[in-house]
Amino acid sequence: MARLIRTEKEVEGRNEEVWIVVDEDALEQWPAGPRDVVGRPQARNDGHARARGEARYTADVHFPGMLHAAVLRSPHARARVKRLDLAPALAAPGVRGTIGPGDAPELGTECEYEGAPVAAVCADSLGEARAALALVDVEWEVLEPLLDPDEAVARGSLIAPPRTHERGDFERGLAEADAVVEATFRTQTVLHNSMETHQSVCRWEGDVLEVYTSTQYVWGVRQEVADALDLPPDKVRVVCDYMGGGFGSKNSPGEYTFVAAELARRTGRPVRCALTRREEHVAAGSRNATTQRYTIGARSDGTLTALGGEFVNAVGADGWVAMTEGPMVMLYDCPNLRSTTYGAKLNLPPTKAFRAPGFVEGTFGLECALDELAAKLDLDPLELRRRNHAHSEPGGDRPYSSKNLVECYRRAEPHWERRHEVRARSTATVKRGVGMASQVWYGGGGPPSYAWIRVGSDARATVVTAMQDVGTGTKTAVAMVAAEELGIPVEHVTVAVGDSLRGPYATLSAGSSTTPSVAPAVRAAAADAKRQIQEMAEQRYGANAGKHSLRELLGVLGNAQILGTGSRGPNPTGMTVLTFGVQVAEVAVDVETGEVTVERIAAVHDVGRVINPLGASSQVEGGIIQGVGHTLSEARLVDPASGDILTTTLDAYKMPTIADVPEIVTELIDIPDTQLTNLGSKGIGEPPIIPVAAAIANAIRDATGADVRALPITREEMLRALAEAKERSREAAAAV
Amino acid sequence: MNGGGYAFDAPVGTSLAELLRERIGLTGTKVACNEGHCGACTVLVDGEPTLSCITLAHRVAGREVTTIEGLRDHPMVDAFVRADALQCGFCTPGQIVSAVALVEADAHPSSEEIRHRMAGNICRCGTYPKIEEAIRQWRG
Amino acid sequence: MKLLQLSSLRDLDGALPIAGGTEVVPLLRQGLLEADTLADITALVPRGIEGSRIGAGATLAELEVDPQVPAALREACRLAASPQLRNMGTIGGNLLQATRCWYWRLAYPCRLHGGDRCHARDGEHREHAIFANDFCASAHPSDIAAALVALGATLSTTRRELPVRELYRLPSPDDRRTTTLERGEVILELDVPPVDASVYLKAMDRRRWAFPIVGVAAARRGVETTFALAGVAPVPWLLAGSLDDATPLAGTAYKAQIAKALVERARAAVA
Repeated sequence: MARLIRTEKEVEGRNEEVWIVVDEDALEQWPAGPRDVVGRPQARNDGHARARGEARYTADVHFPGMLHAAVLRSPHARARVKRLDLAPALAAPGVRGTIGPGDAPELGTECEYEGAPVAAVCADSLGEARAALALVDVEWEVLEPLLDPDEAVARGSLIAPPRTHERGDFERGLAEADAVVEATFRTQTVLHNSMETHQSVCRWEGDVLEVYTSTQYVWGVRQEVADALDLPPDKVRVVCDYMGGGFGSKNSPGEYTFVAAELARRTGRPVRCALTRREEHVAAGSRNATTQRYTIGARSDGTLTALGGEFVNAVGADGWVAMTEGPMVMLYDCPNLRSTTYGAKLNLPPTKAFRAPGFVEGTFGLECALDELAAKLDLDPLELRRRNHAHSEPGGDRPYSSKNLVECYRRAEPHWERRHEVRARSTATVKRGVGMASQVWYGGGGPPSYAWIRVGSDARATVVTAMQDVGTGTKTAVAMVAAEELGIPVEHVTVAVGDSLRGPYATLSAGSSTTPSVAPAVRAAAADAKRQIQEMAEQRYGANAGKHSLRELLGVLGNAQILGTGSRGPNPTGMTVLTFGVQVAEVAVDVETGEVTVERIAAVHDVGRVINPLGASSQVEGGIIQGVGHTLSEARLVDPASGDILTTTLDAYKMPTIADVPEIVTELIDIPDTQLTNLGSKGIGEPPIIPVAAAIANAIRDATGADVRALPITREEMLRALAEAKERSREAAAAV
Repeated sequence: MNGGGYAFDAPVGTSLAELLRERIGLTGTKVACNEGHCGACTVLVDGEPTLSCITLAHRVAGREVTTIEGLRDHPMVDAFVRADALQCGFCTPGQIVSAVALVEADAHPSSEEIRHRMAGNICRCGTYPKIEEAIRQWRG
Repeated sequence: MKLLQLSSLRDLDGALPIAGGTEVVPLLRQGLLEADTLADITALVPRGIEGSRIGAGATLAELEVDPQVPAALREACRLAASPQLRNMGTIGGNLLQATRCWYWRLAYPCRLHGGDRCHARDGEHREHAIFANDFCASAHPSDIAAALVALGATLSTTRRELPVRELYRLPSPDDRRTTTLERGEVILELDVPPVDASVYLKAMDRRRWAFPIVGVAAARRGVETTFALAGVAPVPWLLAGSLDDATPLAGTAYKAQIAKALVERARAAVA
């Protein structure tokens, strides 16, 4: 019998209450350790399709008669459309339709950032559409943009009221401290730059709108498009078989979706609207820049007495205020805490979630500040972390569903021990050092998510769920879970995802939540199918049921099938579900040229049971490499006077190449969270990117004594920090 | 192309990538930047890794073009899948094309050589360590 | 747009010459170059490497591995661009590439585009010049050009012979061009005389596939060492005096520091 309950669900730090339907029979978790399938390395089940170029991405979707759209965007950071005449564009060769402000969601005349969409044109070819765009008669009233986050805070230009946290008595805690560190850190705006740009192809089949789109949330796009166009949701079908990366930027439909839908409706033809790579640099979202001001106090034995922070997120024209204060609030046991976070509203493109939003930025500031504290107290940085380990949620008694951070520290020790040998390899011009940083993040997932499983007379199974595999390998993980539960080879499991028409609802692929949300539903569905097969076997063979193979049992079915259904149950009540980890970085710094080389990163992560160690290690490496990118070379630059985006191409916006990759050593604790679902698994997409910058910056301090205070650690920043360190030691020597 | 002959008429300025994807319908070659910066569109022209998005179509007249479709049974494909050297997969065809050219010139490239020769293929998902391993183990 | 089938470079007649196209194609698409007729000159420009003579049509990939090529030029090729771009791009085209200055590339009405200001000077200029940056602060991105200048190379065009250095000029109020190549004039060949030792050192923002923050080419003949720098001026910069003569902008002072370190290392490497 179905039971309806209300429970709490978290995505990336935001909690919401949901009603869910639960299965009555709870499944016991498997014991820890590798099983027949789960816990063993498995190559991706769609690997050949992707590798051979046979996978169909939205970029590859093509329909006869398909038109191409181009979007007119504000070239100014802040402007109003004074006059707009689309007629010259409509008259241009190949053009089949134009739309303007008010004709589709997100097209407007008040432009609050460069790239804000105003109008759109569709034509037989993309070249004709873009040429027609240049003919649009538009007059802009250029307005003064607000670009500086501190100025925005001073003026009260905020996305939302400031967010504060308080614990204990911060002032008293500070007074009790034997050592205080005050430090300001800045992080830059970082662009997702997924390899497939944001794009949708829309096609009307009668009164059903089909949306082929590069997305992390098939079901969410369906809902948002239905709401925006005032359609019943089941008149919207969203398809995403394969998508070329999102990292948080593709959680919703965009103006490109609405433009394609409206132009498709008006022309009666399929319409593609795709961002160019330059538009991707300007108008596709970003990880916001931050300014973080910390005041941290501790006793001489290293126990923290006060944690204080003021955080300014340069959110942009729109977006949400990410939890930059999250690591400070959640990672360590400190009774006294005070934080304020501001979301500055600026004339810059809106922020979009990017792999552990807020926590990447905040961990850099916090973990660097803690290392400065360790230096002041002459304490080993790893020991400092241990001494402030939180055994239950800081500021309360709420227990963790599982926490193996101490085990992470223990496994990090051999990597930490290498620091003596690493330092010894320094030369006159190249200094080497080792640094560490620990992290906390979410990753428990939550309801609702559903899965169906079909088992045929050939004893092969198909898992059906409207989730999406954004490259993380979740399709393979759910196949493994189904195979394990049913006792069949994983090659006999097909996974059908990415189409809302097939259903059923599955959660979005963000917040490290896909595996912990969808995989338990898949196991439940497989268990349901297994139960039915067992009942069938007992009916047919009675006591001898066990003597027959699955194929024999099912062979009688012919065209009939076993259909299993499963849903994701609730998270454990009264417990906090989080993931933890620590990374140790080794760097070499050329002190004359400021070149920083990351030579090695050891990553130790606690994410519950690991379903596919091969796929999991790829997530760790991928997160670390993105981390190296935002630590050393990536920055979206803006003209300070006009607010125009200057880095619009992949040669100017420098992401890591294969030549920039350090040696990466991955250790996964792989202890199931016995309180969490029928699997005990958490997500691993985000944890690995979080501690990278701090580990590298702390390694730089270990190597050179220099305090890096800003990301990216460009040559300028490195040389500045080295000069400052030199000045400090000169003053210290003079004072003796 | 890919072992067969092909004749075409196209407006001057058409890129090889457009020819492949839109005129011929071979969508295995991906376009990610259209300016020659990312390598996703890499194909082989007379065996050399070339950026099809900025190659004007007329330049391949009389030359041998190899796309990922022509390499679908090359051992490098299995090597990539075995090593898990792909995630979202959008850059992967270009990576495999560059990797095949590398091992045809040097069957046992060093780590240094791999990094030098694959540096023009950007991967945002960060599959690089496993790409290196795939190239080392490409023979299986 | 039309494509001219040429049998002689004399018949160019206003058409835009194109070989590898790695610079020309993106600039055409962006509207930074305009042409209604293209002329593919690949078959008409020498491309072999023989002793000290290098055809302008030789690709960077060919030069990267040829032992006849002096070390500084080979290394400049090896560290330039990406493997695919090296396969496609010719040495002749590389010498003529435009600056990466984002203001120029985004078609701001700057001095190089005929306008009356340099937006970089008061704007975002971390990649820009530390010498001769008063009128225009753009940086010349060619590693190869710096190597050739240090090596004292000469080039021959369809009209004349000249030292590589003289291919370049600083933009001025009356003439905004950064090269001295006339319309219809095509580079045919380079002559790179042997030296006793040479080296090219490059500072960039990632380990490969990046333009020079600072590139230093050094070539020693006897007791004389010549240095030429990439990424520090609107043209490849022959270091005549001292690096203390640099006039960095507020955001490019770090380049002078890096240049000093690399010049000393280059000096030691060719000693």
